[in-house]
Amino acid sequence: MSLEFSEKAKKKIEEIVARYPQKEAAILPVLHITQQEFGFISAVQEKMVARILGIKPIRVRELVTFYTMLSRESLGKYHIQVCSNLSCSLLGANNFVDYLVEKLGIEPGETTPDKKFTLSTVECLGACERAPCMMINFNYYGDMDPKKVDEILDGLK
Amino acid sequence: MIKIFIDEKPVDVEEGTTVLKAAERAGIHIPHLCYHPAFPPEGSCRMCLVEIEGFPKLELACSTVVKEEMKISTKSERVVEARKAVLEFLLAEHPLDCPICDKAGDCKLQDYYDEYGLFESQFKEAKEKREKKLKIGKSLILDQERCILCTRCVRFLKEVTKTQDLGVFHRGVNSSVNIYDGATVENNYTGNLAEICPVGAITDEDFRFKTRSWFLKEGESICPLCSRGCNILIEYHPGFSRFELPKRVYRIKARENPEVNGFWICDRGRYGYSYLDEGRADKIIMNKIEGENVLTWENISEYLGEKIKSLFSAKKTSAIALILHTWLSNEELFLLHKIFKDDLKVEKIFFADLPEGEADGFLLTSEPSPNRRGAQEVGFDLKTLDLDALAGGTDFLLAFDPFLSGLFSTKDLEAALNKIKRKVLFSSYSHELNSLFDIVIPVALIAEKEGSLTNVEGIVQGFQPALEPPGDSLPEWKVLADLGRDLGIDTKFFEKFPSPETILSEMGKKIPFFKQKND
Amino acid sequence: MKEKVLTEHFGLESLYKIEVYQKQGGYRAAEKALKKMKPEEILEEVKKANLRGRGGAGFPAGVKWSFVPDTDKPKYLCVNADEGEPGTFKDRYIMSHNPHMLLEGIIITAFCVGISVAFIYIRGEYEAIALRLEQAISEAYEKGFLGKNILESGFDLDVFVHRGAGAYICGEETALLESLEGKRGNPRLKPPFPASVGLWQCPTVINNVETISNISHIILNGAEWFVKQGLPKDGGTRIFGVSGMVKNPGIYELPLGTSLKDIIFKHAGGMKEGKKLKAVIPGGMSAPILTADEINIKMDFDSLVEANSMLGSAAIIVIDDKTSILDVLKVVTKFYSHESCGQCSPCRIGNSWINKIVIRIAEGKGKKEDIDSILRLASNIEGNTLCPLGDAAAMPILSITKKFRKELESHV
Repeated sequence: MSLEFSEKAKKKIEEIVARYPQKEAAILPVLHITQQEFGFISAVQEKMVARILGIKPIRVRELVTFYTMLSRESLGKYHIQVCSNLSCSLLGANNFVDYLVEKLGIEPGETTPDKKFTLSTVECLGACERAPCMMINFNYYGDMDPKKVDEILDGLK
Repeated sequence: MIKIFIDEKPVDVEEGTTVLKAAERAGIHIPHLCYHPAFPPEGSCRMCLVEIEGFPKLELACSTVVKEEMKISTKSERVVEARKAVLEFLLAEHPLDCPICDKAGDCKLQDYYDEYGLFESQFKEAKEKREKKLKIGKSLILDQERCILCTRCVRFLKEVTKTQDLGVFHRGVNSSVNIYDGATVENNYTGNLAEICPVGAITDEDFRFKTRSWFLKEGESICPLCSRGCNILIEYHPGFSRFELPKRVYRIKARENPEVNGFWICDRGRYGYSYLDEGRADKIIMNKIEGENVLTWENISEYLGEKIKSLFSAKKTSAIALILHTWLSNEELFLLHKIFKDDLKVEKIFFADLPEGEADGFLLTSEPSPNRRGAQEVGFDLKTLDLDALAGGTDFLLAFDPFLSGLFSTKDLEAALNKIKRKVLFSSYSHELNSLFDIVIPVALIAEKEGSLTNVEGIVQGFQPALEPPGDSLPEWKVLADLGRDLGIDTKFFEKFPSPETILSEMGKKIPFFKQKND
Repeated sequence: MKEKVLTEHFGLESLYKIEVYQKQGGYRAAEKALKKMKPEEILEEVKKANLRGRGGAGFPAGVKWSFVPDTDKPKYLCVNADEGEPGTFKDRYIMSHNPHMLLEGIIITAFCVGISVAFIYIRGEYEAIALRLEQAISEAYEKGFLGKNILESGFDLDVFVHRGAGAYICGEETALLESLEGKRGNPRLKPPFPASVGLWQCPTVINNVETISNISHIILNGAEWFVKQGLPKDGGTRIFGVSGMVKNPGIYELPLGTSLKDIIFKHAGGMKEGKKLKAVIPGGMSAPILTADEINIKMDFDSLVEANSMLGSAAIIVIDDKTSILDVLKVVTKFYSHESCGQCSPCRIGNSWINKIVIRIAEGKGKKEDIDSILRLASNIEGNTLCPLGDAAAMPILSITKKFRKELESHV
């Protein structure tokens, strides 16, 4: 695994940093790119980002641990994030989670041994009219039931 | 100036003052944890909530600026309830470590609970578990469970040292103060972190488990370890009647002075207090006096006076030499100058100070002694001690100097001193090299006497004794005042038994620099 | 007859493409504003329209803009697209169906206040929407509606999309600013207010997506027309988001003042088969809950305040009689405990404490005193926190526990 940003990412980062009157403001967009490139943001990535933005690595970690979407550890290829908030709970999110736990053989917070799936419960995704819903990486899936879940997961390579 | 009312008491304050500061000036203490006068208000502890007429919610005293006719209540029922609520929340997730926590007796959480709480705990859940012994600095330990997230430490390292070594990781109740992967705080101001922590989250290993804060007494003094003259508090144990303690001083704390050191002191000054207790001389030692009476404080100046008078009448004052240092107070240096330079016209006056170090860009100066400026302003040209120049033709040496043993080798010192007939040493320390002198007279340290010092910027600061000098030690100014009287110099001045206060006043009359410095 | 203001063309395919948008009359309002109106006139119009904030707080937009001082400092506009209030999904619809309507509103707002840089702070999870917005922004630049000297008016404006990363608190305006500046989303003390001290200490206007999306309509059709679509004191429509146990969950744009009962039973199709109504949360999770007998109420800002609740984000969550209120409370306390930024003690510790009690009750280890404890602790959070999240947590916890006390007591 490369320990440098790809050329494409470097260019995007440069463009983003130029948008803000202060470099630091670019940190969230840069962290998104970092997580996209490497799959996670560990100490190595923290130092890279810190160097680019001229800040101390500790500041990067403050953010990575604050924001739910940023991960310090590597995640499975597909991160299944099931909404556990109110509307989804009303429409059976708990059963939905139980179904996934059984199907994948892991608990929320864990990753399958083949590193294909990570399962998490998250707060409101903003798709309550399609409860119960989940987000896999950044794709939204609503109106879930066991059949649909099977279809979707089995279709993921 | 505007008029406001705090608890129905009219108070006049300057525009722009916060409610907290206004109350302080009116003698009303509003409890607060995250607020520290060195930083802009943070507003996160919620302890300083007060009721202000016309405001629907309770407002923060630390950040609300007063307006004309504002009516503030710091004791209303709503305020009392809010304080209890905040305390209850803080204590809910706070470990009951008081029996083993160094901060006990000095802890804001304890104090406020005592004054505003006194409720029984209703928390029946499991408390959050965090790291309890995280080493975050050369002598600092962080207990994340005790931490109330006031972030004073984080802000100190951001605003004052600008090193940003601490940060807050995670969110909500999982929040914790942390360092970055073992990167401990490494600068000359780490000790301030333990001091500003309102609870026992950051503790100092230098103080850890050594004593209890309620055994300690406090004395105000000035740090002599460089020429900044930071104002300090010396915390010492007065001792028990039945047994002796190994030391008196347990801790140095910063004392606020906006002109000199602000709110802080450096680690050198904070941790370097062993000079106060270790290796102290406390008895007059006579090594080679034949056929003389035993020397005591009462007859020392007489004895010295005699020796000097005999040299004076034999027109041999050129045979007198002095070694001085700049830990001496303004008053002592003035007396020395008056007696030996002005009156006796002694030429061989040398200074043996500690070698220069490096300034740290903030408080610590490169000069490691507190009163070089004072010596200059009194009129001395600070000739560095040269042992040959000293010994040549010298019959009588008065050395006020505890540093000699560190500056010269035994061999060199011995060779030089052997050439001098009579040598008297005034020192606070027992050192084997003291045996090279005929008489060793123990003297008090700055922390143990009265006087004033002039710092690197020319600020004259008075000090009072914070500690008792050990054994027979007495301050140098006393010997010199007595000596001046015995020598019959300037009788108008010396007959009046001058004290540091009157000496400084005299200095103000004779030397323009010291004119307006009398405070 | 009251009209739809925002969602009129939502059914159109590719409305998000600028050519389609323009065909529906898009960007005519921007032309009118930049070419024919003075900033003061625009401000007056927006004030007269009684457009109140659609994010949750309901603060009048025109008044907020007027707080921006005259200054040489750069001014900024932040569009709050964080949409984190549970139950809310209306802004997602606006941005994915009609991003240009939002952009047009941004252009007019910026021109009115004298702003030349705008950021759309969009929640991190809405990645697809962020891409659509960036595409729309690109198109707008190409057609000269963004960039330098827009429509030859001498007015410059740059718009950037800035993605969040999963923190409800960043929907709070000052936390949004902190997050945008590259820091943890810790809310700031107010005063000073963002209108005077905002992004990088400069005056900043922060408005919700739906609020800004109304601007082009106000300019094109006039404030009077806008007020007629709603109520005299609350102009315009709201996009109500209905979810939970209804037959037809979704967005419903209706005039302010529409009855809640109608929204649930007429527009959203009523309860799902076999379910009876038990409770309704009328304005997003932070709005105090209403029981089944309290739904004869008009959905506007003042009516809900009178009923001790709030219109908030107009997100209506419908709860049925088979759902345990304890489960509802559990979800609520878990949410606020998880989303607390951690700065101030009442919210940080209080929410976690209440959550721990509720979990314990759900595990069957609750005691009678626990119900009183929950009420006491929530009251202690309310009014004592640094930012509104404390109140946003306390209000639902208090209302649920008070109104359904009997049911909760059956668990201890």
